[in-house]
Amino acid sequence: MGESNGQGQFSRAVVALNGGATDPLVVGSAIRLAKQSRAEAIAIHVIEVDWTHDLGDVVPGSQQRASEVLDRAEGQAERAGIALKTTLLQARDVGAAIVDEAAAIGADLIVVGLPYRTKFGGDFAMGRVVPYVLQNAPMAVLVVRSAIPAEAANGSDRLTAVRD
Amino acid sequence: MRVPRPQAEYFRYAGPGIVRAKAKASAPTTGAGRAYARVRRLLIGAPLASEQEIEERLSKKKALAIMSSDAISSSAYASEEILNILVLAGVAALSLTLPIAIAISAMLAVVAISYRQIGYAYPSGGGAYAVGSANLPKIFALIAAAALLIDYVMTVAVSTSSAVEQIYSAFPPLYDVRIEVSVAAVALILLGNLRGLRESGNIFALPTYVYIGSALFVVGSGLLKAFVLHDAVATGYHAANVPTPTGGFEALTLLLVLRAFAGGSVALTGTEAIANGVPAFKPPEPQNAARTLVMMAALLAVIFIGVTAVAVSYGILPTGEQSVPALVARVSVGTGPMFYVFQASAALILILASNTSFNAFPRLAAILAQDSYFPRAFAFRGDRLAFSTGIFALALVAAVLLVAFKADTAALIPLYSVGVFVSFTISQAGMVRHWFGTKGSGWRSRLVTNAFGAVLTGVVAIVVASVKFTAGAWMVVLLIPILVAGMLFIHREYANETEELRVREDLVFGQPHRRQRVVVPVPGVTRAVVRAIAFGRTLSNDVRAIYVTDDVEDGERLRARFNRQLPGIPLVIVESPYRQLVGPLVTYLDVMEPDPDAVTIVVVPEYIVRHWWERVLHNRTAERLRRELIGRPNTVVALVPYRREPAGEHAPAR
Repeated sequence: MGESNGQGQFSRAVVALNGGATDPLVVGSAIRLAKQSRAEAIAIHVIEVDWTHDLGDVVPGSQQRASEVLDRAEGQAERAGIALKTTLLQARDVGAAIVDEAAAIGADLIVVGLPYRTKFGGDFAMGRVVPYVLQNAPMAVLVVRSAIPAEAANGSDRLTAVRD
Repeated sequence: MRVPRPQAEYFRYAGPGIVRAKAKASAPTTGAGRAYARVRRLLIGAPLASEQEIEERLSKKKALAIMSSDAISSSAYASEEILNILVLAGVAALSLTLPIAIAISAMLAVVAISYRQIGYAYPSGGGAYAVGSANLPKIFALIAAAALLIDYVMTVAVSTSSAVEQIYSAFPPLYDVRIEVSVAAVALILLGNLRGLRESGNIFALPTYVYIGSALFVVGSGLLKAFVLHDAVATGYHAANVPTPTGGFEALTLLLVLRAFAGGSVALTGTEAIANGVPAFKPPEPQNAARTLVMMAALLAVIFIGVTAVAVSYGILPTGEQSVPALVARVSVGTGPMFYVFQASAALILILASNTSFNAFPRLAAILAQDSYFPRAFAFRGDRLAFSTGIFALALVAAVLLVAFKADTAALIPLYSVGVFVSFTISQAGMVRHWFGTKGSGWRSRLVTNAFGAVLTGVVAIVVASVKFTAGAWMVVLLIPILVAGMLFIHREYANETEELRVREDLVFGQPHRRQRVVVPVPGVTRAVVRAIAFGRTLSNDVRAIYVTDDVEDGERLRARFNRQLPGIPLVIVESPYRQLVGPLVTYLDVMEPDPDAVTIVVVPEYIVRHWWERVLHNRTAERLRRELIGRPNTVVALVPYRREPAGEHAPAR
């Protein structure tokens, strides 16, 4: 299992993508870290399957959309000169799937994105995935914050190491 | 749960309705294909994607090495070319050596200024061809292109043969294999260029810079000794030292001076390469190209005038055994290590001079191909983003020339440098028209520069062609119109093709309304035939099988089986007493069942062999039929392959 050396160096990073506007920033951050640490990067996208379907069911259109998310990330990494592996998962719970997969492949870092609002005092809803990952991941977690595009006129992207 | 994505290995979504093929999608699938790919990778490197083109661009430092070796290397022999002529008229004539060298350098400055302006005005490359196309009747652009293409081939042939000359001068036993060595040298440079711009820049940079450095050192030392330290030996030419030529001295006429000027003008060959290759530079392309061009012209002029000045002040004449630069180096730096560094780098840069052509020829050919004056294959970039077809073509023609002329530099030289002056003249004349048209700031002085340059290079072109005409330049004079005619022919063919394929933009195409009928030539009832008929039935209800045989009874037996196993498919038996198959079948379609309103789809069952050697066991009738039927009006040929299953994987017999 790859481990952080305690100085911000990583050997294997899981890059969790949700197909949203934060993805390019998440991938960009992962690329920088992978270059600095000469680490391996694996992009993960999870298709959440509700209880009306079997876990193995193909939800119409979802797999192509998911492939597009991963392919975009792979293209971005390739342009930056980094080989990004990709993994597509189907699960009942996205957060749990990310943490389980990261633990299973011996990752020492998870990079996730978190959009935030720049109006109304900057309040934002964290949703379920990021809190789950922060609470349960047995490895370092890097949350990459990005202003929600529609409201991002004056907002800047920030990187915040939330938990290590 | 992991979701398998088998397509991810081969394709990537790149946008709505767009998938991008990855390298693996193009990977060969057969053993032989994989082995070939491995050899290619070993020789020329891994394939590069199109967007990596920008990474392959040249920095000014590499561009100077890769695009200027031809021009800079001519400083190694241009002085000698002047002296060789002037010595025929004795001491008085030799005093004109330095003024002629300075005049040639002035012409170089004019040409360089012109090409600098061309680089800015036509940043997509093409040099004389681009300027000619934009400002003059097309024929002039084509003449410039043809002249340049010939000259690029000659540069490769001449520089390779002269470099090999240096090699067998040092190792005489190699004289007998000089042709093989020359061809091998061309093959090596070919490989270097197929690897792509950046890598060939790496290969060629060091020798070029060593030559520049050592030449500047030699010239600097020589000038210092002669003009500052007033070396007692530097006393110039004396009548006693100038040998009387066979047949006595010639008169110092204007023609002789022009011949000397024309001889020394070889110094200018290669000057156009940078303006031709502007797109190969890193952005900002025109600025970087302009700076490199100025640097190249300055270095060439300094070395050329410097070598000539030292040669004149020490009274050096060509001896036939040692070159003028070698003698200059000897008086400047003695015979120490610097002498050998200079000599070795001079030999190397002569080999590398051909590299300028390997860069410029494929680019010009690609531009001509984009304009439909050359076969389109010349415009495609190969695995390493180099214009591989042009590179191969150049190497092939140069190798043929080397073999035909037995790698003899003296025999090849007369064909050299005519073309380049023709293109200089056309490009400068084109720029004169350009300034008239644009009338931008300072256009008058630029126009005068270009007009002066056009007249000057035009005169030199005529002098070079006439002086070298009987010695071989006639071939070039003949070849230029032949090449131009060939390019015009290619252009007309492409234009006709485009016109034939053109679709009017206002038309909207709906459902097809013509009837389709399917004809299946059959050799019997086999799985391949059953599959072909099944496919034919998906295309039309009008499906018939045709059996060509010289045995009607056999045909009737087949008809009975056909009726039983493939009901509803009529079988036509064509008796062929001369045992021909393809001819009677095609004629039957033409004569017996002409149906001009219907589209005839000939569905040919084809048995695919598993191994190459199995092909000899089959008649390959399907291929013969396809060849015969392609181009028949209103006819479509569909080959339906039946691949033999590997042993143990047979489908149950039907």
